Amino acid sequence: MTAAALVLAACLAAAAVLYTAGPFLREPAAEPAPPDAERVRWSEERDRALAALKELEFDHRTGKVSDADYRELVPPLRRRAAAALRALDGEDGVSG
Amino acid sequence: MPELGRAALIAALGLVVYAAAAGGWGARAGRRRLVESARNAFFAAFASSLVAAVVLVSAFARRDFSFVYVAEHASRELPTGYTLAALWSGQEGSLLLWFLVLTGAGSAAVALNRRLTTDALPWTVPILGAVASFFGLLLVFVASPFATQPAPADGLGMNPSLQNPYMLAHPPLLYLGYVGLTIPFAFAMAALASRRTDERWIVATRRWTLGAWTLLGFAILLGAKWAYEEVGWGGWYAWDPVENAALMPWLVSTAYLHSVLIQEKKNMLRVWNAILVALAFCLSLFGTFLTRSGVINSIHSFTQSSIGPWFLAFIAVVAAASAALILVRVPLLRAPTRLESLASREAAFLYNNLFLVAFALTVLWGVVYPLLSEAVRGVPVTVGGPYYSFFAVVFGLPLVLLMGIGPLVAWRRASLRSLGSSLVVPASVALATGIALVVAGAGSRPAGLVGYTFASFVLGAIVLEFVRGTRARKALGSETWPRAFASLVGRNRRRYGGYIVHAAVVLLLVGAVGIGGFQTKREAKLAPGQAVRAGGYTLVFLGDRERRSANAEELRARLAVYRGTKPLGEISAGKNRYFAEQQTSNEVAIRSDWLRAQDLFVIADQFDEDGTVYLKVLVNPLVNLIWLAGLVFLAGSLVAMWPDAREQRRLARRFEGAYAPGYTRA
Amino acid sequence: MARRRNPVRLIVALSVAAVLAIFLVYTSFAGGATPSLRPSQLAGHDGDVSLAGKVVGPVRGDAHGAGLRFTLRDVRGTATVPVVYKGSLPDLFRVGRDISVRGRLAGGVFVAETDSMVTKCPSKYQPAAGDTS
Repeated sequence: MTAAALVLAACLAAAAVLYTAGPFLREPAAEPAPPDAERVRWSEERDRALAALKELEFDHRTGKVSDADYRELVPPLRRRAAAALRALDGEDGVSG
Repeated sequence: MPELGRAALIAALGLVVYAAAAGGWGARAGRRRLVESARNAFFAAFASSLVAAVVLVSAFARRDFSFVYVAEHASRELPTGYTLAALWSGQEGSLLLWFLVLTGAGSAAVALNRRLTTDALPWTVPILGAVASFFGLLLVFVASPFATQPAPADGLGMNPSLQNPYMLAHPPLLYLGYVGLTIPFAFAMAALASRRTDERWIVATRRWTLGAWTLLGFAILLGAKWAYEEVGWGGWYAWDPVENAALMPWLVSTAYLHSVLIQEKKNMLRVWNAILVALAFCLSLFGTFLTRSGVINSIHSFTQSSIGPWFLAFIAVVAAASAALILVRVPLLRAPTRLESLASREAAFLYNNLFLVAFALTVLWGVVYPLLSEAVRGVPVTVGGPYYSFFAVVFGLPLVLLMGIGPLVAWRRASLRSLGSSLVVPASVALATGIALVVAGAGSRPAGLVGYTFASFVLGAIVLEFVRGTRARKALGSETWPRAFASLVGRNRRRYGGYIVHAAVVLLLVGAVGIGGFQTKREAKLAPGQAVRAGGYTLVFLGDRERRSANAEELRARLAVYRGTKPLGEISAGKNRYFAEQQTSNEVAIRSDWLRAQDLFVIADQFDEDGTVYLKVLVNPLVNLIWLAGLVFLAGSLVAMWPDAREQRRLARRFEGAYAPGYTRA
Repeated sequence: MARRRNPVRLIVALSVAAVLAIFLVYTSFAGGATPSLRPSQLAGHDGDVSLAGKVVGPVRGDAHGAGLRFTLRDVRGTATVPVVYKGSLPDLFRVGRDISVRGRLAGGVFVAETDSMVTKCPSKYQPAAGDTS
């Protein structure tokens, strides 16, 4: 191995070690507050219900869902979305 | 130079082992700095493996035959493009490619999801690191690309049948697909390990999975095109174990893509998805094992292979560990949502999954049974095409039907009357097509007729979906039809991109049925001046022609093609004899007629001393639809994958407030 | 909501049963896997079998004419059987290569089915030069 390659290898190795050890060499960054798992799940539930409503409306419009079925399926979805929104507001105290 | 490569690999191994160990400890003990350090080590491992790859590539570029690997796979006459591609034509090089792509793609996925993988999914890096460690161990201790020797005068060269543009692109794309499947696997297992029941890992890996699956599928088709043109037996897929090696993970990841959609929308099938993603990853490892370990030739060459037993052991470990993790988390994953009706879109997705997995398992059995039989009973057996074709039809036709019916069914519960009225149009199209085909004479092949009818049913259903969607969009206020269409697709990229992919599958089916069911075949021994007729074409044998190229002696039979009395030009088919590699290859003549949608395919099987030639003439209807399907498949996937600003905003809004300020990505 | 048994499990169980049933039906009718015999095992087998072995010269005749004649030997062994083959010859065919053919034994000669020859190709990714088989 030529001297140049040796030097290159040594530099790269040093860089790798420094980079890997980096987090220990710096002041520990202020740890962000861990995400609220409950909140994440309610957000996903809300989005799921809202997306389902949108899709149901589109399916109705394109003729896959009959009027009767549409009338039957919408209220439970609306309730689910409302429940999720309430839970999110309740968790927060401030409207999300 | 080889020392630099070796050192880079050793460093990379050390880094990924650290990433696995330190990352695992950090994930378990909640030590954030360890997790970050492990992540950095993984990134550094990519840089190191890149150094190793550059060393090897430059060795190929310089034709440095002191590298054993370069000498085994390249030669002085080999054109530069193929020389560089020789990087992945051997075992050691493809292991390096695996390692490079794994650390590269893994680093990218982790970097793009920095917060998620540090806070919520700290096990992602250790899992990626563990998989990389396996490949690193092989590269450093078992199959090193940097072995050296006193340089011989010339290398052994590349197998001439691999010197083809399709074979150039096929392995890297295939590996991108295989390795790409590691990413959803790592994120999914990390979510299980950290007891996450939310969907963030799915959202994060959605495009990675789609991309890997697309590349894998496209690579399979590239391989098929190579087989059609270069191996040239007249077919395009031989159900060879090496081909099946890539098909199995593709089938299972197709199932996974569908069922993960259900999980996102309905929060169902969570255990099933975990099993599927682990199965897909294990099958991609198995696929690599099948192609690399020599086990295909015989069980004996396998045990002598340096990496075969290691691969099997690793696959067993991965399968066992995944199964254990999934079992332990089943109580956590058990879905609150139930399947409400057996006639619903959820159920259609479930049936789709079952057929796809069933087909993948039958292919797996077909590949594994001969190996098991030889290993356990000592009786070598072969499983032939008919076994696979049978199950392809038994499972494939219902799948095709589902592609048509599924999108027309409502969620939760099918409105049967609405479904009925939706089905009228596609069903009539299918019926009309069937009748037209029978009239045109296709009734002689009932299997083909059924295939075409089903295909037209699905195409009708897809067109109906686009039409109804565009109409609905226009009613919402778009001024013109094109704008309504663009808006429709733009707002529902996954759905309509998916429909385009379904259309691609249908095209593939039509092409496969055409060449499989309606092929015309004629054989003849011709002296110069004699002719053979097949499928409306007349071929007149004009004589032999010999030519020498840089690395081969080319023998060709020149043929004049006529349709009736109209001359269509000259084609030539024959054989190449390669000097360095001491091999003969079959060079077929293919004349594609786009207007008639068929290929004239000529194989010059045997040249005799007396100047006669034995020809096989095939007319393959609709075969080019198969290749067109590949392009449509790419287009559909691109549409589905295309970044969506509206969706990004929605996702950002979803998580606002749940995270500390400054959080930018899901 | 009344607690019902999840139909998903039922569907999965039924599907597994159905797949196994189809599988068993197929293999009992069509066989699925064909056993591959060595020349030393041929004696006594009357019907169509798959024969695998190493090509031993001399190779004479015309595969597209009266038939190509050669001898097939046990890959690990000495038992041989003469073979006559008609049809396409795979590119990799040569003396010393491992091949397999379908056909039947008739009068001491193995008469191969047309176009049924398959060579056990050395791994596509290994160079053929320097082949010592």
